Amino acid sequence: MNTLTPLITLLIFPAGLTLILVGMFYEWVDRKLVARFQNRIGPRWFQPFADAVKLFAKEQITPAIVNPYLFFGLPVAALAGALTSALYVPLMGLTPASNFPGDLIVTIYLLSLPTMCVGLAGWNNSGRFSLIGATRTLTQLFAYEAPFLLALLGPALVAGSWQINTINRFTQDHWLILTQPVGFIVALIGLMGKLELPPFDAPEAETEIVAGALTEYSGRGLAMFKIGKSVELIVGLCLVASFYLGGLNGVPSFLFKTLILLLGMTMLQSLLTRLRIDQTVGLWWRFGAILVLAQLLVIILVKGFLP
Amino acid sequence: MNKNNEQFWKQIIKKVRTWARLNSIWAVHFNSGSCNGCDIEILATLTPRYDVERFGIKLEGSPRHADVLIVTGPVTRQARERLIRTYEQMPEPKFVISVGSCSISGGVFEGCYNVGGSVDEVIPVDVYIPGCPPRPEAIIDGIVQLLASLKGDEPRKMARPVNVEEIPA
Ligand code: SF4
Repeated sequence: MNTLTPLITLLIFPAGLTLILVGMFYEWVDRKLVARFQNRIGPRWFQPFADAVKLFAKEQITPAIVNPYLFFGLPVAALAGALTSALYVPLMGLTPASNFPGDLIVTIYLLSLPTMCVGLAGWNNSGRFSLIGATRTLTQLFAYEAPFLLALLGPALVAGSWQINTINRFTQDHWLILTQPVGFIVALIGLMGKLELPPFDAPEAETEIVAGALTEYSGRGLAMFKIGKSVELIVGLCLVASFYLGGLNGVPSFLFKTLILLLGMTMLQSLLTRLRIDQTVGLWWRFGAILVLAQLLVIILVKGFLP
Repeated sequence: MNKNNEQFWKQIIKKVRTWARLNSIWAVHFNSGSCNGCDIEILATLTPRYDVERFGIKLEGSPRHADVLIVTGPVTRQARERLIRTYEQMPEPKFVISVGSCSISGGVFEGCYNVGGSVDEVIPVDVYIPGCPPRPEAIIDGIVQLLASLKGDEPRKMARPVNVEEIPA
């Protein structure tokens, strides 16, 4: 019995299985909304689940050239990183499963672990499409990571804490989207860059480079990367919603706020076309980073002069 | 009792697997020498008007991700080896749909100096969709027939391995 409880906590609730299923549900909402915006009917509600089961039941081909340890280890690391990051965010509006001062930074770095793994996987496969996909993935990582981090630092500075739980409690009576609109927009678009959604899907542009870094992956590895991405989606949405949209303090507010955010993201997705990789980098460093830095400066000045 | 239990779970797992396979079909498209008529019809099948994503059908870029290989056109001597390579790159279980009269019999290109013949002379084909070119409705119907054949319990014949180096040019 004693060993059973932590196991259930770890696997089923609040982490693990529930998280994966909710992530799949959000992925379905994303695909369905995009389909509706394009005047299509869109996938059925179990589609991401069916995809994952099918991929797990398929043969996994190991290319002759790869390092097998990396080839099998990277998908696991990606999924583990995404799942671990969920421990520190107020998922479902509940108190985070674990928290300590400074967990904001840990969460952000855990969230970029899947992207790093995709990049390494592309390098490991050393096919030409995988390599180009990997370089694009990593280039894009350098483009959005700093502005995204800075955009999440704004609320942290205002709340005077680096602990997600404290910030979440602070934002429950301060709607920071009103005072820091720039930070909100940069965080939202940064999240889209993180998830490689259009217009930032140059790393997996299937019209140019087949499937990017994951070209050689089949079966289980691919499924794990995909699940990792949907977990990343839900954790990212949760972070942005709790920082900018007045905090999360229960399941209804969690569902409502994250789905509103997702709606905005799908609108942008179906509205915009794919950017070239140099345009992506230019956009982030020329506009995103500068705007967020200016806003950070304003926050620091206001905090310094208006106690 | 234990044995029964095991049987039961095996049945359940098999059911779930078949269900997932039927509801999530990722296709990769290969042009082995078609006149592009069939390719345009395949693209038309993927447009919002026909919206195959509601059946879980998705066009993938990489053969490693795909379940179904859609081949159009007669197999030219140039494309023959590439077609086999693409087929070999796909993970099991894999299926082949040959679209258009040319891929079934060589069609109007039959007898050309550069044309080897039909698709099923090179790789095993599961479903044939005739037409020059077939309409998107016909292509969707072909995929539905493939799904119907997957539902059955009889074991599918495994694709025989082909060694690319040994194929006469
Ligand atoms: S079947 Fe007709 S449309 Fe298709 S490749 Fe042959 S000639 Fe072209």
